[in-house]
Formats: sequence, C-alpha cells, structure tokens
Amino acid sequence: MNPCIVPEVPIDVQGDNRWMSQHERHVSEAKEREPDVIMIGDSIIQKLQTCPIWNDLFEPLHCLNFGIGGDLTQGVLWRIQNGILDNIKPKVCILHVGTNNFGNSPEEISEGILTIIKEIRSKLPDCYIIVLDLLPRGAKPNPLRVRNSKVNVIVHEKVKSISRLEVITVNTGLLQSDDTLSAQDMLDYLHPTDSCYRKIFEPVHELLLQILGEAKDIDKELINTQ
Amino acid sequence: MKMVLSQRQREELNKAIADYLSSNSYHNALEGLKKDADMPGEVENKYGGLLEKKWTSVIRLQKKVSELESKLSEYEKEINSGAPKRALRSPSDWIPRAPETHCLTGHRETVIKVIFHPVFNILVSASEDATIKSWDYETGEYERTLKGHTEAIQDIAFDETGKLLVSCSADMSIKLWDFSQTYECIRSMHGHEHSVSGVCFLKGGDFIVSSSRDKTIKMWEVNTGYCVKTFTGHREWVRKVKVSPCGQLLASCSNDHTVKVWTIATTQCKADLRGHEHVVECIAWAPAAASSAINEGAGVDKKKNGYEGPFIISGSRDKSIKMWDVASRSCLFTMIGHDNWVRGLVFHPGGKYVISASDDKTLRIWDLANKRNMKTLLAHGHFCTTVDFHRSQPFVITGSVDKTIKVWDCR
Repeated sequence: MNPCIVPEVPIDVQGDNRWMSQHERHVSEAKEREPDVIMIGDSIIQKLQTCPIWNDLFEPLHCLNFGIGGDLTQGVLWRIQNGILDNIKPKVCILHVGTNNFGNSPEEISEGILTIIKEIRSKLPDCYIIVLDLLPRGAKPNPLRVRNSKVNVIVHEKVKSISRLEVITVNTGLLQSDDTLSAQDMLDYLHPTDSCYRKIFEPVHELLLQILGEAKDIDKELINTQ
Repeated sequence: MKMVLSQRQREELNKAIADYLSSNSYHNALEGLKKDADMPGEVENKYGGLLEKKWTSVIRLQKKVSELESKLSEYEKEINSGAPKRALRSPSDWIPRAPETHCLTGHRETVIKVIFHPVFNILVSASEDATIKSWDYETGEYERTLKGHTEAIQDIAFDETGKLLVSCSADMSIKLWDFSQTYECIRSMHGHEHSVSGVCFLKGGDFIVSSSRDKTIKMWEVNTGYCVKTFTGHREWVRKVKVSPCGQLLASCSNDHTVKVWTIATTQCKADLRGHEHVVECIAWAPAAASSAINEGAGVDKKKNGYEGPFIISGSRDKSIKMWDVASRSCLFTMIGHDNWVRGLVFHPGGKYVISASDDKTLRIWDLANKRNMKTLLAHGHFCTTVDFHRSQPFVITGSVDKTIKVWDCR
C-alpha cells in the first residue's frame, strides 16, 4: 500500500506535540472565521504568512493559512478528514505538499496529492482548487529536485481532466541558467525569501482575483469612473 | 554668496564647461580654457550635456520645491485651522479628521465592536479576547475590564440610560452587565443554539433582542431573563439585529444576503429586502434628520411624492452600501467605493452623512444627498471592523483586527 495516501498523524519525534497543537488551532480558526480562500500544506505554505506579501496580497482576500512545517501528504490528508475543512465554505483552496515525503517515489507522492485533491473536492464540491508545483530544492541539481519535477509532471498529466482546478507552474523562474538556485530566492535552498514568494505568489494572487470575481468588479469600477 | 567647490567638483565643472564650449563650436574659448585650466586632451563623453542638465534641473527642482511647499502649507492649514475650525462649522457638518487623537491598546485579540456610552465620556469595546473594556475617550485612559464570556464577543449595546450593558458571544450566551455601580454580570441568557452575533435593547429597556448563527432572532425579558419570542425566517446566520427609532420594528441582516424587517408585536416578517450579492454584515436605521438627504439622494422631492421611510442602510461583503425604504420595500440607491467587506455603518447625528468601516482598512464618509464618498481616512493597519459616532459630541471611534481602538476628532 502506498503510504502517501494513508491519512496519518506524524510521529511526534521532538516530543512537544506542535503538529497537533497547530492542527487544533486551525480547526478552531475554521469554526470562527469565514475565509474565502484557504491554503493547505507544508512550510512553503506556512511561511508565506510571515512575509510582507501575505499582508499585502492575501490577508485582504480573507485568507486562512493551514500550513504546517514539515507536513507530508498523509498528514494533510488526516487534517482534511479531521476538521480543517468543516464549518467553512471557502471559494478557493491552494495546495502545496509532498516535498517532505522523503523515501517515497514520485508516483507515490503524486498519488498522495491526487488523493488530497479528491478529498478536498468531496468536502467542498464547489471550491476551486489551485495546486502549486512542488518547488525545486537544493542549490545544485540533486535527486530530490529530480523527484519533485517528476511529481509535477505526473500531477500535471493527471489533473488535466479535473474541472475547477488550476496548476501553477513555478519551477521555471527559479532555476538560473546553470541550474542552480540563487540564495536571493531561497536562503536555505528550500524556503523562498520574500522576493521569491512574490515571484511565485503574485501569479497566484492574480488567479485568485479572477476566480473571486474581483477582476470583474475592477472593470465595473473603471466603467463607472469614466 | 561665495560657493566653495571641492577639487573634484571644480574639475568636473571645468570639464562640463569644456564640453559645452566644444559642442557649441566655441573653439577659441575652448582652447583658452584648456590652457588656463591645464586640461589637455579631449573631454570624455560622460561630460556630454552635463552643464545643460545641471542648468535645467535647477529649474525643475525649483518647480518641484514650490509645488511641495504649497502642498505643505495646505496641509498645515488643515491641521492648524482644522479644515474650517470646528467653531466655524455647524455640528451637522462635523466629520472625523486625521490623525486620530487617541490610539487605545490593551485588547489581546481583534476589536469587534466599539460603542459610546449614552451619558458619560466613556467608550466601550468588545473583543475576540472575550473581554469588554471601557475607556475615557477624551483622555484616552483605560478604565476597566468586564470578564465573563468564554469565547469571542460579537456585539454589545447600552440601554437608553447607560446603566445596563448587554453583550453576546460565540459562547452562545447573552450577558447583562450592571454599568452604574458594580460593573458585574447580573444575568446570563442561554437559548441560542449557535454563536450569538447581534444584540440590542428595545425601546424602554425592558426587552433585549438577539440574532444568532442558529438562523433565529430571539427576544428576552430583561427582568426575568426568559426568552419570550423567536423570529424565524432567515435561511442562514443572522448577523445583526437593530430596533427601529419608533420601537415597533426590527431590522436584521444575514448570510442569506437579505435584510429583513419584522413587526415586533406579531413576530411577522414585514419586508424582505433583496439586492446584496453577498453576506450582509451591518445595518442601521436612519434617524428622522436623515430623511431629506435620503430623498434627495433617491432623486425625489420630499414634499411631493417623497419617500416617508423608515429607512435602513446596509453594508455587505459585496463591498456596497445600500439604502432601503421599508414602506415601499425598495432599494433607493447603492453606494460603491470600498475595496473590501463593509463591516460597520453609523449615521451622522446631523443626518446628512453616513460613516462606514471596512476590511479595506478605511473609514469613509458618504454624503447621502449626492451619494458620494466625500472623504476617506486610512484608519487602521488591518481590517477596520466597527465604527460609532457620538450622538452629541464631535467624536468618532473605530476598532480593528489590529487590536487597537482609535478616537477621531470631528471638525
């Protein structure tokens, strides 16, 4: 059985139960708030909210961030089945997970991502889903980077037939001509810096505006002011 | 005035002059300069046009400086003489002006509601940190905290005397507080099956009405704490409920996109006002003084065939503000300007304006007769959730997700 598709609470290796504490906070946030947009996934998603771009672009859209650092596809699956999507009706859900699934094959990881997409669909049938490509990792070409791009290729192929779903391709803009990652984009060659988050998430924001029908409103305003 | 140039600047100036002479074919002068300044050879390209550039940029900068100076004096005038002095303007034209006079900090979570005390110089704030705090709005001093709720407070209201305060919370309870002596919770009312998000006193102060996420509105007797009536009809979460100035009607707004008007005596829904395209966050009944401005805004002459009201204004997550006439059950006009959810609305006591608070972080003043957004204040660093206007004093207060409360002076 593919471990990536079996919902599972990660083992609390460090012993402070932080993963579960974060999950519980997310569940209570979901009860109180009425987000239009939610983001689910790992540290790439989570750290976005510590960057200025979060306040500039995403918070005004009534966006909640359910990212947990280090989370795996099976952890995200468990969280979706255990409360983070109950009580809310977001219009868009953004996903980035899988880069921490060490030891799993691209096929297994992509199956995990697809299972998550199905799970979101079943909980929120009307919700638009945006899948972010797994970001490249490591300063120089390495097996994990290859694994991530393989996952992306498989996911791209498999989601083609799914409606109300968009894939955001991010790989291309980040790698330099010699295939290295710049420290300006990722200080630790894994997590984006603020400027890199802007590169990746400004297109996401554009797409969100379109989906939320805000682009239409702007058109209306332009007509009104003329 | 003698200017002293550094060695380097002098060389640059010489070279720039040389370039000027050369480009204008003043060969004799150029040769003379080169000789006198001991500057053999050709002038490098980087000095091309430098002298002219410096010359014209001085003029450009002078223009810029004079522009900025005139702008500054305009702003100074607005601050010092306070965009006409308060004494020179009629109270009905007083509107809030930046900057705020006080920024009150102390709440640990989002400030969800701020209201003025009807008698004393006090404002009261309710927060998602489950506490209610009172503050002196003139000095900005913190007075006290009321604790009792266990989850986010959603709404608060005073009775007409200011002796009783009512609050409601996500903990599903409504609490009544003595606000004259003990400042303690004197009664808790339970009955709603979900978060209670709106609450207010009826005229006379003997009853309270509350609205809830359980889709109902309930009426409670203050003396006994019993629920005496339930109003059903909304299909979703009822956000707020407000009693009409005459005391006979209730207005409510809901996640079902509607505003409804209810006859209190019969609990029947009297009007179902549809038009918003998203959750309706807030409503306010128009005071009698607003009637002529509203009619003007609706494009009719009040004396002939004018709308008689009562009127309700509503703010929604669709970013619009709508004015409704209850008698004809129609939307009179819509005002657009906010870039995000409209969270709070209050009529100016003079009746000519409405003040709105929004998740676009601004406070806006709307001129009803012209349906125009006449002033916008960037009020907070995060969503601006609530606003109140004092009934007789020139003060406006706002609250925000940034956990602060701001007091704005009106002129």
